[in-house]
Amino acid sequence: MSFFVVKRDLPGVTAEVLQSAGIRAKSCCAEMTGEGQPVRWIRSFYLPETAQTHCYFEAQSKSAVEEANQRAHIPFTQIVEVIEMTPEMV
Amino acid sequence: MHDTDSATSLAIFAAKRRGDNEVGLDHILLGCLRVISRFGIVTLGSWTLDLETLDVDWLRQPEGPRPKVAYSQEAVELFDRAAQIAKSVGESRISVYHLLAAFANEEVGLMGELKRVHGITSASWRAAVAELNSERTNGFKPEGLASEETKLREYLTPEEAAQTLSIHVQTMRAYIRTGRLPAFRIAGERAIRILRADLGKVLEPLEVGKKEEC
Repeated sequence: MSFFVVKRDLPGVTAEVLQSAGIRAKSCCAEMTGEGQPVRWIRSFYLPETAQTHCYFEAQSKSAVEEANQRAHIPFTQIVEVIEMTPEMV
Repeated sequence: MHDTDSATSLAIFAAKRRGDNEVGLDHILLGCLRVISRFGIVTLGSWTLDLETLDVDWLRQPEGPRPKVAYSQEAVELFDRAAQIAKSVGESRISVYHLLAAFANEEVGLMGELKRVHGITSASWRAAVAELNSERTNGFKPEGLASEETKLREYLTPEEAAQTLSIHVQTMRAYIRTGRLPAFRIAGERAIRILRADLGKVLEPLEVGKKEEC
């Protein structure tokens, strides 16, 4: 499994819209996992200064992450694979 | 599992079962009603809704072939409205009750049909959902929200079995004593257990057309 960041430009987005998107993302990931295509939404960060959102997912492929976001009807600008690093790893 | 997770899972299941490509408002409404139902019946305000008449197999859990479905634009807007309702009442998470309240102004589809058939108005729907939500916060737990632990246990104590059927524990013990309901004793102990699947044996369908008290 690999990690991916989904970048979104969401000018003027509200906390409620983010919460609504979160529920859809969570349910679509659960559904795809049930279908045998595991995708896990890990967490998201909203950057108020740039109105961007970075959402981290774990999946076997970039296409799986893309499909989960499309099914959840959440727009994105880019999906990039990331390398995880934590303080415990260094 | 959070009640909204159950509702969305059942909504997706409803869409797939009907062979629809998108999860729309009708599917979400069915998912929400399924979550708050007891034995396939939703009691909301003065209305009694039978999920079977809405084409819901209330005993069946999501499983089997899983064609792909996505949320519709209408579904997105409904979730957005539910989030606004949650915020307006100072709750941090969207619950199934916020989703149900978000249907109040829908005039088409399943909600429109329910309004026409049952004489539901936007205000009466919101009032009924609010009342149910307050019952929930006071300790009432619909079957769809039963704890995972309880859901997974196959054998119940007489008290738990009585609670499941909403009858007095003495009635349950009478069913066991008279042999109407099979029960088991844990070897060498006094404790009695009832197989959850056997509970249906003390239920019988109402005969349509016959004068019976409902």
